[in-house]
Amino acid sequence: MLRTEWWKWLTMALLLYVFVGGLLLPVPRLPILNETIRVLYFHVPMWFGMIALFTASCIQAIKYLSKEQLTNDIFSVQLAEVGILFGILGMISGMFWANYTWGEPWSSDPKQNMSAIALLIYFAYFVLRGSIKDEQQRAKISAVYNIFAFATLIPLLFILPRLAEDSLHPGNGGNPGFNAYDLDSQMRLVFYPAVIGWALLGFWLATIKIRYEIVSEKLGL
Amino acid sequence: MQEVFELVYKDLKTDWRNRYPVFGILLYLSAIIIISYMSFMNFIKPEVWNALFWLIILFTSVNAIAKSFMQEENRTTYLYFVASPVKIIAAKLIYSNLYQFVLILISIVIFSLLLGSPGNLNAWFFVNLFVGSIGLASAFTMVSSLASKTENNATLMAILGFPIVIPILLMATSISKQLILGAPASDITSDLLTLLSVNVIIIALSFILFPFTWKS
Repeated sequence: MLRTEWWKWLTMALLLYVFVGGLLLPVPRLPILNETIRVLYFHVPMWFGMIALFTASCIQAIKYLSKEQLTNDIFSVQLAEVGILFGILGMISGMFWANYTWGEPWSSDPKQNMSAIALLIYFAYFVLRGSIKDEQQRAKISAVYNIFAFATLIPLLFILPRLAEDSLHPGNGGNPGFNAYDLDSQMRLVFYPAVIGWALLGFWLATIKIRYEIVSEKLGL
Repeated sequence: MQEVFELVYKDLKTDWRNRYPVFGILLYLSAIIIISYMSFMNFIKPEVWNALFWLIILFTSVNAIAKSFMQEENRTTYLYFVASPVKIIAAKLIYSNLYQFVLILISIVIFSLLLGSPGNLNAWFFVNLFVGSIGLASAFTMVSSLASKTENNATLMAILGFPIVIPILLMATSISKQLILGAPASDITSDLLTLLSVNVIIIALSFILFPFTWKS
């Protein structure tokens, strides 16, 4: 008997709707963007998902430090791994889109730089884990780094937009975004389910990886 | 408080006894300044001056502060029994900030001697330099305590530290660029306050998190 919780069915339904609706429902015709505006349903939710997963990973790290249960450490690592996957997907989809709309994949946009830094931090987290042999110590040191890095990543979200007068991203610095037009209510109908659906998919992936890790821990693999 | 000063004094004495780490850093500092002088000799603009100056501070800082916990490897057990972790991190933060500030003063003297001064080095420039330096030194002190627990700690110091100090570095560089280009103090106060609050976050987190690294 397949054990499936209700939120997994919800994820499947939402993502099915996002794929069908996102590719077929009408979208506003904007100069330059044209049909590429549909990337909104796939690219932007990646960042929401990434931030949600990293936040969950940081919470698990705090739990590890207070309880010292190795399970929390497994949770924290696997959530961060899926977060990185989402970050990479978001970055690739964004660069692909930017190549056609901005003319080049990387234009040193503040949001691009911010995402690059976020990925650097979490790659460093895995290098750190790789270089400590003792299990308890690895869990503790990496939990500390996770919290420390997350807390400095957050101010970055407020600092970078402050430094750059304008971002190339739609909706910033006078660029047409989906907020600026009346048709946006139609896009919202797909966008909000997309954000929820992709984030849930991220947590679903993480739970599978976590179960796998816990089982292989028990078997001593 | 007495204990904290004793620990700071201990660090000072250690550095005084085996002088080669300090002289090594000074040599490193002079070498990178001379290299940048040779590479940027005739075409240095104020903006470039500023970016280069902060990069040199970043590299000096990461190398100078890396030692703060790595030199304690043999003394960890001893320190563990004589002082509480909060006092140790307080002492280390005070010492690395002092150490870094002396290095920055030396580097700005050599740097402006060779590469000239970009013009507007007023009091606010030094205030910003001071605040930015506190942020860098404190973040690297905490990272040093993490990196000292690993096997290849010299590389990890840079890998772990650089992404974390990017917010501080970006803020400090942009404020100092505005000041060099002649912006009035009123333009930068809000940015300076943001930089200060990032520093407060980093120092507060160091106090909260350090006891956990120390115990392991």
